[in-house]
Amino acid sequence: MNIVLRELKAHMKSLIAWSVGMFFLVLLGMVKYSGFAASGQSANDLFKGLPTLAALFGVQSVDLTTAIGFYSVLFLYILVMTSIHASLLGAEIISKEEQDKTAEFLFAKPVTRKHVVTSKLLASFINILILNLATLVSSVTVVAAYNKGESATSTILLLMVGMFFVQLIFLSIGMAAAAISKKPKLAAPAATSLLLATFFLSLWLDITSKLPDLKYLTPFKYFEAKTIINNATLNPLYIIISLGIIAVMLIAAYFRYSSRDLSI
Amino acid sequence: MKVIETNKLTKYYGKARGIIDVDLGIEKGELFGFIGPNGAGKSTTIRILLSLIYPTSGSAKILGKDVVEFGAEIKQDIGYLPSEVFYYDNMKVKDLLNYSASFYKKDCSKRIQELVEIMDLDTSKRIDDLSYGNKKKVGIVQGLLHNPKLIILDEPTGGLDPLMQQKFFNLLKEENNKGVTILLSSHILSEVQRLCDRVAIIKEGRIVNVEKMSDLAKSNYSRFKLELRNPIEEGLFTLDGVSGLKIENNSVSFMFKGDINTVTKIIASIDLLTLWVEEPDLEDIFLHYYE
Repeated sequence: MNIVLRELKAHMKSLIAWSVGMFFLVLLGMVKYSGFAASGQSANDLFKGLPTLAALFGVQSVDLTTAIGFYSVLFLYILVMTSIHASLLGAEIISKEEQDKTAEFLFAKPVTRKHVVTSKLLASFINILILNLATLVSSVTVVAAYNKGESATSTILLLMVGMFFVQLIFLSIGMAAAAISKKPKLAAPAATSLLLATFFLSLWLDITSKLPDLKYLTPFKYFEAKTIINNATLNPLYIIISLGIIAVMLIAAYFRYSSRDLSI
Repeated sequence: MKVIETNKLTKYYGKARGIIDVDLGIEKGELFGFIGPNGAGKSTTIRILLSLIYPTSGSAKILGKDVVEFGAEIKQDIGYLPSEVFYYDNMKVKDLLNYSASFYKKDCSKRIQELVEIMDLDTSKRIDDLSYGNKKKVGIVQGLLHNPKLIILDEPTGGLDPLMQQKFFNLLKEENNKGVTILLSSHILSEVQRLCDRVAIIKEGRIVNVEKMSDLAKSNYSRFKLELRNPIEEGLFTLDGVSGLKIENNSVSFMFKGDINTVTKIIASIDLLTLWVEEPDLEDIFLHYYE
């Protein structure tokens, strides 16, 4: 537990900053909603005339004049932010020991590499869970403040569960990148590059109708707000794919980190 | 049972040579020196012993257990001081020491207190704010706080002033008197000479020699130094067994191995001011190995 506590303490400030940031992202986003709601149906009509723009903002097939409809646009950006947080956290929590040259301290202690990965995984898990809960609380309260129709809480809850899977995916990718790479500096850039690539792929898939099967390659397509709002459920297929990716990444991280030389 | 035992231990970094066929056997309670120039493979050997890196071939055992398989278990009994100490930023000295202690299955608080007093360390300071020498002291305390059975030191004295170095060596000798085995790697011969009973000399990844410190010093080399009244002819001392001959103005120095009478006869024929015949120090012997 000592490594877990150490990591929780080391990441506390950053986690608070991220949580506050998420609150303001939700708040500032929803402030714009009041303007949109005032303009009424015309906003929906505007986007209907511009399908590409609508795709870029992720507003196909949702009603922008409802609070939850507007929130679903915002959700894409919330999802990207928490994913960036998770992938950076995963890469950094593993690679920093080598990068800051504390590996020679830590691994001269009676610990196995597996134990260290497990402790850091647990600490990261707690971090992304807290950020998820902070986003949940911010979203529920801010959306409720603007909401005039039926309660959106259960939908937001479902969105956050979906988001947690995506966070876990990018956390495990970040950890795997750092555990596999012999160059600790490259872990975070590699993990975030992959994240951006999958994000742009998901935007591209919104605009075009070509190659729809590529949607399996980008976690940003797994738990889309419009589908969750319309179906009121998460697609079990994507839950299984997510768990599969997480398992593969973590197994790779454990295996490689235990068997390679530390770069000191 | 040997405390450290390596068998044809070999490490390549890709194609680059780390160490080749290193065989070491260190007994319980030994103060064992490990000397060689930078890049000879001292740190590589130590890092394998701590399973920070893994051997390409061969094996190493500590307290009878394989270092790769039982690394974590073995390290309960190892104290390690690396050559350069880096610690987590934003941590106070006492936080670091408590964190370090939290890895061991015993209460280390009393020992921490003792060591902090001996090393004269202010534990309320942030590690970032410490000087290099003080960081080194933190390293010493964290390496010894769990009363290890084996202490491994990699170039430990850099940054310590002579007084602190003395305290540190006394501390190590005290530990050694309690039966603790010590492996000290260094390229500074005088510190190895001061502390160690036996020494392994490593050169370009291979162990060149393992000798008792006393035998090493007792090798039948003698160091001659002469001060003369008049300059001598060059070539007077060019004979078999003489090495490192230096002639400057009226002073001559060289190392000699062989029948001492051949030299004394020559010396008898010259007009001397002073003559020294000394046992060579380790530095001289060391140069001999690296010729």
